[in-house]
Amino acid sequence: MRNAAPFRGGWPAAGIGLLLFFPLSSPDAFFLDVFTTGFLLAAFAASWDVVGGVSGQITLGHALPFGAAAYACALLTSLAGWPLPLAVAAAIVLAAAVGAGIGTLSAPLAGPFVALLTLALGEIAHEAAVGNTFFSGPGGYAWGGEGGIPLTLPWRDASPFLSYYAALAFLCLASFGMLRFSRSGAGLILRAVAGSPITAQASGIPIARFKRLAFTVGSAFAGAAGAGFALHVGRATATDLSLELSFQAATFAAVGGRGTIVAPVVAALVLHVLFQGLSLPPSARILLYALTLLVTLRFFPGGVVGTARDLASRIAGREGARPPGRHGRNRNGEVAR
Amino acid sequence: MNELLSAEGIGKSFGTTRILSGISMSVAPGEPVGLFGPNGSGKTTLVNILSGLLLPDTGTVRFDGKEISRLPLDARYRLGIARTFQIPHPYPALSVLEAVRVALAVNASKRKEDDGTGEDGGPTGDLLARTGLFNQRFVPCARLSQGCLRRLEFARALACRPKLLILDEIFSALSAADEADLTALLRAANRDEGTAFLLVSHNPPLLKSLCRRILVLEEGRIVRERKV
Repeated sequence: MRNAAPFRGGWPAAGIGLLLFFPLSSPDAFFLDVFTTGFLLAAFAASWDVVGGVSGQITLGHALPFGAAAYACALLTSLAGWPLPLAVAAAIVLAAAVGAGIGTLSAPLAGPFVALLTLALGEIAHEAAVGNTFFSGPGGYAWGGEGGIPLTLPWRDASPFLSYYAALAFLCLASFGMLRFSRSGAGLILRAVAGSPITAQASGIPIARFKRLAFTVGSAFAGAAGAGFALHVGRATATDLSLELSFQAATFAAVGGRGTIVAPVVAALVLHVLFQGLSLPPSARILLYALTLLVTLRFFPGGVVGTARDLASRIAGREGARPPGRHGRNRNGEVAR
Repeated sequence: MNELLSAEGIGKSFGTTRILSGISMSVAPGEPVGLFGPNGSGKTTLVNILSGLLLPDTGTVRFDGKEISRLPLDARYRLGIARTFQIPHPYPALSVLEAVRVALAVNASKRKEDDGTGEDGGPTGDLLARTGLFNQRFVPCARLSQGCLRRLEFARALACRPKLLILDEIFSALSAADEADLTALLRAANRDEGTAFLLVSHNPPLLKSLCRRILVLEEGRIVRERKV
């Protein structure tokens, strides 16, 4: 489908414009790094939203395709000697395959059981990565375990500017792709499956196949973000497979507004830049993410976007009178209320 | 008689409770059939087995000459068996138009004729107009009245151009106007498109007015069959 309504408005363009201008106004390497990481995490949060928001499959193991792609990049470049572009492409395909596997396993399950299954799969991968040193590189160095596995990159020290703009370009392209997918015919069916699986099935929808599709697509984008992250830090580590990372993505989506793709991106950027920019220790950041999630779920269960929609609906008091747009949505891509 | 749907020896138990015992029945192409019975007689269980929501413990279900006993709900819909639910389960975040488009999405050829706006007289627009939902096409399903939800159920069921409609208590708790509208819709589908239906209801006058044959279910068995 051709609806990309949020990209029609001026807000996203203004936001991207500001981000394009930012390095020129404040060329501080620390903040450039914070933003670069933020762009990759934002793409990861949007990929969680494809699975957990659009199609309603709450996953707590979304770090698995992210980390799998990061490790694949590291192993393929450092151990197998593959050229970087080929390694990245293979890593994304691997992440999609991991997603298809998770989707196949979780398809017969619903609700909390999907969360528990994905949590278990993610933790198995994380523990395997932390506890095992699988490979030995040249010179007797141990690879794997806590230290992770380094990537062999065709450059020595990437310019922070270049990294910043490459990550921003990736975020824009990935978000656009995920938004298009969520607004496509398949995205509509996934939203139906999320809303009422039994009605979707009674409408002829093979729901297991569509759940698998959601995991595959979401994981492919998560893998692309994971590969990008590994390129940025030059190493794949067990943290890339951690529950903390999956939890962060779910928090970004819940705070921004599930099922919207763009809102989790904005929430990820704001929260990451805020918490990371303040140079808080990791334990304090986790606590703040948890508190943010608790406050959101208690007081704003629809996230920022859902709350704003409800407020706008109450203020306007024009329910059901909104003029039609494509697919029954108004110009902002919302269902008319 | 030529049979569209036939069930032979259907049995179903939940734990130690026997719900259905050796049910055999059939529906001919274009035939309007009623299913009547007291609460707890097994009507919904039988409907769930015929539509693919439940699998029978014993017996077989055939449709259009094919054995479909193990086919799930979605596959039977694509074959041409559409069902409605006694309690509708709407998509909370989707509009009426989107809900109908989901049902139409299973048939790619139907979708290609349609620009998706529901305003071109294509399948979506036709279906919405037919079921009286056109003016509410942008309303979220979660905000529909009971009558409109039943219309939406009907629109969803008709989207696959079914050969057989299985309607579970679709007329319960409706206003007189909504009941009259849905009755007219059902008659039109049966008369104009030759759609057979199996209508489950507690309302004998309604069944007599709509059906040619009424099956009476009691304690998991068909105890009577009455021609109207």
